[in-house]
Amino acid sequence: MATIAVPLGGQQERQAIEAVRRPALSEYLRWSVDHKIIGVQYGVTALLFFLIGGAMAMAIRLELLTPNLDVMVSGAAYNSMFTMHGTIMIFLFIIPMWAAYGNYVVPLQLGAKDMAFPWLNAFAYWLIPPAGVVMLLGYFVSPAEAGWTSYPPLSTLFSGDGQTLWALGAHLLGLSSIFGSINFIVTILNMRPPEMTLWRMPLLCWAVLATSIIAVMATPFLAGALTLLLLDRMTGTTFFDASGGGDVLLWQNIFWFYSHPAVYIMVLPGMGVLSEVLSIHSRKPVFGYRMVGLSSMAIAIVGFTVWAHHMFTSLQPELRIPFMITSMIIAVPTGIKMFSWLGTIWGGKIHFTSAMLFALGFMSMFVIGGITGVMLAALPFDIHVHDTYFVVSHFHFVLFGGSVFAIYAALYHWFPKVTGRMMNERLGVIHFLFTYFGFLITFFPMHIVGMLGMPRRVAVFDPAFTDMNRLISFAAFVLGFSTFIVFYNIIHSYFRGQIAGANPWRALTLEWATTSPPPVTNFEDDPIPYEDPYGYGTEAASAYLDAVDQAFDGRRPASPGGH
Amino acid sequence: MAELTANQLPAAHDDHGHMSAEEHNENMKLGMWLYLASEIVIFSIMIVGYVLFRINQPDVVELAHGKLGVGLVTANTFVLLASSFFMVMGLRAMQNGNRAGMLRWIGLTALGGIVFLGGQYIEYSELAHLGIVLGYDTSSIWSTFGMRFYAPTFFHGAHVFVGVLWALEVMRRGAKGRYDDNPIGIEMFGLYWHFVDVVWIMLFTLIYLV
Repeated sequence: MATIAVPLGGQQERQAIEAVRRPALSEYLRWSVDHKIIGVQYGVTALLFFLIGGAMAMAIRLELLTPNLDVMVSGAAYNSMFTMHGTIMIFLFIIPMWAAYGNYVVPLQLGAKDMAFPWLNAFAYWLIPPAGVVMLLGYFVSPAEAGWTSYPPLSTLFSGDGQTLWALGAHLLGLSSIFGSINFIVTILNMRPPEMTLWRMPLLCWAVLATSIIAVMATPFLAGALTLLLLDRMTGTTFFDASGGGDVLLWQNIFWFYSHPAVYIMVLPGMGVLSEVLSIHSRKPVFGYRMVGLSSMAIAIVGFTVWAHHMFTSLQPELRIPFMITSMIIAVPTGIKMFSWLGTIWGGKIHFTSAMLFALGFMSMFVIGGITGVMLAALPFDIHVHDTYFVVSHFHFVLFGGSVFAIYAALYHWFPKVTGRMMNERLGVIHFLFTYFGFLITFFPMHIVGMLGMPRRVAVFDPAFTDMNRLISFAAFVLGFSTFIVFYNIIHSYFRGQIAGANPWRALTLEWATTSPPPVTNFEDDPIPYEDPYGYGTEAASAYLDAVDQAFDGRRPASPGGH
Repeated sequence: MAELTANQLPAAHDDHGHMSAEEHNENMKLGMWLYLASEIVIFSIMIVGYVLFRINQPDVVELAHGKLGVGLVTANTFVLLASSFFMVMGLRAMQNGNRAGMLRWIGLTALGGIVFLGGQYIEYSELAHLGIVLGYDTSSIWSTFGMRFYAPTFFHGAHVFVGVLWALEVMRRGAKGRYDDNPIGIEMFGLYWHFVDVVWIMLFTLIYLV
């Protein structure tokens, strides 16, 4: 006879809960300090920028259908296209998208009523739309065209005013990211109810904690570098201009000291999502929970020691081997996660839901991106494929095959909590198939053209690569089309989706132990978390889940002899 | 089977959606420390930039030292240090329930910041007179020194300016009795002001003394 404590168990509270309605759409357009509203604001903004960045990717692939310059008006237009594509996808889609899930889900998972600093939270969000607009305004002057990495002297001597706007926009986004991360760290460390000990915390919270530590410590490097870049561009200093006593490598060092850790900012929350989704949808405890939590921290720390592997061709030769070694070491904590996930689903009762399909997709794609990462860390190989499509392929495997697949998995998984309605599973499976194969056929052949020597960031290429590039482009169009399936699904399900109930996946973490969507204060009292956030497959867990169902949806337990 | 029990925990929060003052203070302090940690990084980039220049171009820096003089800047440093002391006295006064004393001390803190900025303005004018400018100028021997000097010191000056505004805001709120029960707002400002002070000691040592 297990005694199960369920938050909001009483009938009276049920009455209050039934009055919960979805916030009106107009509430999302206003200043709000509710973390759930802010989470959705982040998410919708990020998805809109995803569409813009995706359209740019389509334009790039259209240009690369033929080896000549025919779609774009000039090489500079092509340069600005891939510059803005990269910048938007990284700074305005992936990073804010994780802030969306973090904002919505983390306080709920912890059992907190809101973030530690609700006002700061709203402020951090409202920096993003103006920053995006400032960046896009570059198109009205002369857009940034130095790549998302903005290496001087390209970004100082050979770029127009759009580059200045780019730097200003990136500065604002960095500020937003720092404020958001401070908020996450304080929330996760200080706002947990007494029973939510660190070692009972869901793994998404661990991942967001690690991510936020990286963001607070790394993003200011970007801010410092951008400040110097702006000074160089606007006041005539020569910090990055060797002819004026400056140092070009200074930018590369500072930028990558931020941007390599930023790679983990972009993927660690996705790894947290994976641990949630794989465990819940295969009804098994996470294999090696503590090691998964600690490996996030290990990635956060080791991530600061690998930056110069981006600079193998510009670095002092004697520093190359040490950075090669650290870059290979960081594959170890990632490997821990990969094996933990395999151990989690091994022998589980796998439900092939859309969320689960995307999580499995992440595992297969991220492993490829991880292996090519180790290949690129190997100095002799890197020198050979430096600045070729092999690199493009590698980082799309980790950022699309990794981060974006995880974003989709999280979308299907938490959409019912946010909107109270399920997403359409049939459309979800179709979306997955288009995305998975579109992605694979787009990016896998890039390994080959890269090893054959096709350089990246060029609109005109050797006609020998034409056939491969055609294939890549057509697959990319399929991949682009797949986005419309999920957007249609989001809108359709928001209005017509099946009612979800509080806990459609029968999950043990606390965000499911309240209504969908949750009331403004999330929980009426401090909720008591179940003893193990991933303790699936026990009688006590089923009893707890039945009790949750009954408390929130008035459903009778499925098992005989219920309450 | 399962037995439902209502949540019997003592409520850790005083009211729905509201944190206790103690929790609130803890959050504010941790948040502020994290913010200052990120500030240190930005300053360190400029400081390291200067140090590398100092090592690589000792002759230019020594020439600059000859021109700069440390009289004015030493006085300025003393003023800033004193203002940090005033700040602590202000917080102490408020903790002892002495609102008028707090206003006086924080007012002195703000005044210290203003004097510091005035001193910096005089120094910048003198240096400009000597031809030390921010931008790169091939005709000047100072061409590569100016930016490395002005960037960190001006960035610090901007922080002092923000601090002065913050001190005035603390006084405005304090006068309305905002800190009578919970002086955390003054403590937040204090953390920031001490930070600005510590950064200045670093800059003063590295740029003017070494």
